Amino acid sequence: MPTIRYVTSGCAVDFADGDDVNMLRVAIRNECHVPYRCASGNCGTDRVHVEDGHENLSAPRRRERERLGDLLDDGWRLACQTYVSGDCSVTWDPDQTALDERATDRSLPDAVNERLARRWLSAEDTD
Amino acid sequence: MPREALTVKGDDMDELLSKDEFRTALEDAIKGREAKNASFSMAWANGELKREHFARWAENHYHYVGPFADYLAYIYAHTPDHATDAKDFLLQNMYEEELSDVRHTDLLIRFAEACGTTRERVMDERNMNAVTRGLQGWCYAVAMREHFAVATAALVVGLESQVPSIYRKQYPPLIEAYGFGEDDVEFFDLHITSDEVHGERGYQIVLDYADTPELQQRSLDLVRAGAEMRFAYTKSLYDTYVAPDLERV
Ligand code: FES
Repeated sequence: MPTIRYVTSGCAVDFADGDDVNMLRVAIRNECHVPYRCASGNCGTDRVHVEDGHENLSAPRRRERERLGDLLDDGWRLACQTYVSGDCSVTWDPDQTALDERATDRSLPDAVNERLARRWLSAEDTD
Repeated sequence: MPREALTVKGDDMDELLSKDEFRTALEDAIKGREAKNASFSMAWANGELKREHFARWAENHYHYVGPFADYLAYIYAHTPDHATDAKDFLLQNMYEEELSDVRHTDLLIRFAEACGTTRERVMDERNMNAVTRGLQGWCYAVAMREHFAVATAALVVGLESQVPSIYRKQYPPLIEAYGFGEDDVEFFDLHITSDEVHGERGYQIVLDYADTPELQQRSLDLVRAGAEMRFAYTKSLYDTYVAPDLERV
């Protein structure tokens, strides 16, 4: 049975052979505490560093490529965008927040966007 | 799908199921009724549809998913304050449908326009068929009238949680067989992953708050009914728009 190891929270979750499962969904179901927010490839809050098992992960689609850019080449993936079909191990910073201001809404008036940016991003991110 | 599979009812329960047993029962309530196996979905995945069929799909789908935040708002309104996590989930789900990114219905309309129809046609409710109208009405009725855990079971577990498995099958042929660009089909790409998380969180709400045998039973009945509704809706798209074209050939 393949296993996803969420190393940072010390969680290991098995899934059935032949399945491919969403990395964030499995983490939520099993309380593995991967931080997340939008679940749609927009904020980057759920980025994980793949320590092992790259070959068992789905190819990144457009939203993930656009959101992560060069980070993809450095071994980062977005848990919400990634399907797993075999063993892998991932780590993350438990306190990480959204990647940058691109995480905020693209359709709201500026004032609302500013409020969201303040709420979503940590002080360091907005400095 | 065999007719009996659509009409089998669950056994009435008089004991509370454990969370594990209840989750398995919820998953089983969808099995055999998955919309990904309905005729329109199969024709889609097999590369058999034409752009005008997708246009008719979009003109119907808009009226089922367009009011999704409205359905959730009705549930939200009768979720008690002490169920804070359930309220937060509903509110966040509404926000994600409408505001956190490009509005989801705008992505649907973008796809519809790539299929040759117009925003006006998509939004015109006279263009949905009777089965779609029934699905929309059922969603409103469940959201307004059922206990919040039961309504979440019906709409999020029974309907929304099926989305990733449907669109994961349907997304690749849109690009590879039908020749759409990634921009045109962002609606599907977005829902493949966002509804994984909505579905999972929906399960958690139902497991936590359907906490009597009656609520568990009602949840199972409505998950089954929701899956049947979505199957019937998807099949009707084939019967209404695809089959007559095939007969003409
Ligand atoms: S949770 Fe926002 S990108 Fe995955």
